[in-house]
Amino acid sequence: MFKKILIANRGEIAVRIIKACQEMGIPSVAVYSEADRESLHVQLADEAVCIGSPPAIESYLDMDRIIKTAHETGTEAIHPGYGFLAENAEFARRCERENVVFIGPNSKALALVGDKVRSRQTMEKAGVPIIPGMKAIVKDLSELELEAQKIGYPVMIKASAGGGGKGMRIVYSLKELKSSLEAGMREAKSAFGDESVYLEKYIEEPRHVEFQALADNYGNIVHLFERECSIQRRHQKIVEETPSRALDPKLRASMGETAKKVIQVSGYNNAGTVEFLLDKDRNFYFLEVNARLQVEHPVTELTTGVDLVHQQILIASGEKIPFKQEEIHKRGHSIECRIYAEDPLNNFLPSSGKVLFLKEPKGPGVRHDCGIYSGCEVPIYYDPILAKVIVWAENREIACQRMLNALDDYVVLGIKTTIQFLKELIGHPQFRAGKTTTGFIKMYFDGWEEKKKTEENLKLALVASAFDSFNQTHARKVGEDVQKEVFSPWQSLGKWQLGGRK
Amino acid sequence: MEFEFLIDNTLHKISLEKKENIFVVSYGEKTFEADIRSISPNIISILIEGHSYQVYFARDKEKRSLSLEGQQFIVQEPLESRERFQKGEERSREDELTVKAPMPGKVIKIDVSEKEEVRKNQTLAIVEAMKMENEIKSTIEGYVKKIFVSVGDLVDSEKPLIELELKE
Repeated sequence: MFKKILIANRGEIAVRIIKACQEMGIPSVAVYSEADRESLHVQLADEAVCIGSPPAIESYLDMDRIIKTAHETGTEAIHPGYGFLAENAEFARRCERENVVFIGPNSKALALVGDKVRSRQTMEKAGVPIIPGMKAIVKDLSELELEAQKIGYPVMIKASAGGGGKGMRIVYSLKELKSSLEAGMREAKSAFGDESVYLEKYIEEPRHVEFQALADNYGNIVHLFERECSIQRRHQKIVEETPSRALDPKLRASMGETAKKVIQVSGYNNAGTVEFLLDKDRNFYFLEVNARLQVEHPVTELTTGVDLVHQQILIASGEKIPFKQEEIHKRGHSIECRIYAEDPLNNFLPSSGKVLFLKEPKGPGVRHDCGIYSGCEVPIYYDPILAKVIVWAENREIACQRMLNALDDYVVLGIKTTIQFLKELIGHPQFRAGKTTTGFIKMYFDGWEEKKKTEENLKLALVASAFDSFNQTHARKVGEDVQKEVFSPWQSLGKWQLGGRK
Repeated sequence: MEFEFLIDNTLHKISLEKKENIFVVSYGEKTFEADIRSISPNIISILIEGHSYQVYFARDKEKRSLSLEGQQFIVQEPLESRERFQKGEERSREDELTVKAPMPGKVIKIDVSEKEEVRKNQTLAIVEAMKMENEIKSTIEGYVKKIFVSVGDLVDSEKPLIELELKE
């Protein structure tokens, strides 16, 4: 087993991985930018090294610095988390060359699945169903115009190097193509350091269904069933669940076997996710392989009982997958809600700033993967994901109710979050009925407005504020009196330190 | 003791008098008794006529953030905000002509130059925050009078980016 693991990431996922390391008795090294000195992952890791200034390109994306830090700290393996360098084949190659284990797929497979165009060709050859689209990367606008014409509008612009909705745009007509392409390429460049984009047919009203796979270094491949992630805004998932209401055992088996085939023909190892679009006639199309630990991995963990981060580390260290396909069973239903620092009332604009207070949701069957705490700053430089609430229950109905209770129990003061929006989403009759497609938010929540603040709550907010002001004034008065009349050691407590001088 | 607070740009008045262990609250036409306790620095418990309410509370200088049953309130003291509040009407015209950053971020593109003619909804600049690009659009038809920022600048929310001039 590894003597030490470096986590090349931040936020909730870095915390998640550090916890897995702790459970496995492996010391962890956090890396951080100057904006993250006080972040949770820095506090929790055994060692922490500053690797540069706040912009990701000068810190979390700086391969030289990260590999150098790995050597200097005596690290044997690097876990990249998701985002940043997680799907960067060059980074994986550098790790291989520098004798540091990259906890993820081998660089060759990563290069193949990371190149969305080449992987489509490979899959098409292997008989995996794919969406009609471009087979080669072109950067010339007139050629792209021609391609879009050939595919037929609406077309989707996608970043060749990434996922997570970054760089993605739907284009309905030739008129919009140029500006959308420019914006897509810029976003791709800033998110992944590669501006290549490609076009494909946009399938309307689909469901997004993906399969979690594990592959060890000896050719053993299993899948751990599906996750449905249709609830998206800006092509970014915000609610995920398993099992999907759209699959029956037969379709599930067929998609699962296809997912394993995708992993196999890619020469892929470690944890990976095969994404499909499922149309309303239940045809499924291969989208891409997400060559990393997914944000939504916990729903699979809760229903299968398999810890995916442990498995990633074990596989990377050369272990075989300890179970066979037929030994993997799923139980009950799990839902995840992503908590973003965004203002749902204002077009989901990011909301950075200080978290004045955090109350984490708790209770039976509630898991909270979290990267923030009361008093922390949310910087403007990185992805706005703060935390994830994941629930498990014996069926979907109870899972929905449990999620609603957990969101009710969840308080973040100081910055705007998506909590209130998620509550209404989970409570929506169409969601409760399982009628989820990728157009769900646009269809039912376009121009969403928060429920009007009740008079009762307004009154209580004023009472509480007045109470606070009353106490403040009172405390000031008492403070002045005390200072005049008696000496109190508590007046100078600020200069004292519990435990004395060390 | 009388208090004035601003919530969503509306001024509210409330008074609180301590009577032994409880408070007598006057709000609007009504006067009622309330048992109010600070449970922790961030939790206030209120009992009114046997009903129990839990208020989550945090203060950042003059700005209070509260959460009740998931509803969020920003409560401000009117001292400094009052000026803005009272001058509201004359400011709105000016506001429309000054294009501001919708959130803290980084200016990554400026699409116009000074004196240039702009259409309504034309993209003026792009501000990026948390890896998302946000297009800043013109709300009027007119000219670019002044540009206050350049590409690469970090801007705060509400920071003026561009000043526009109406077409005569």
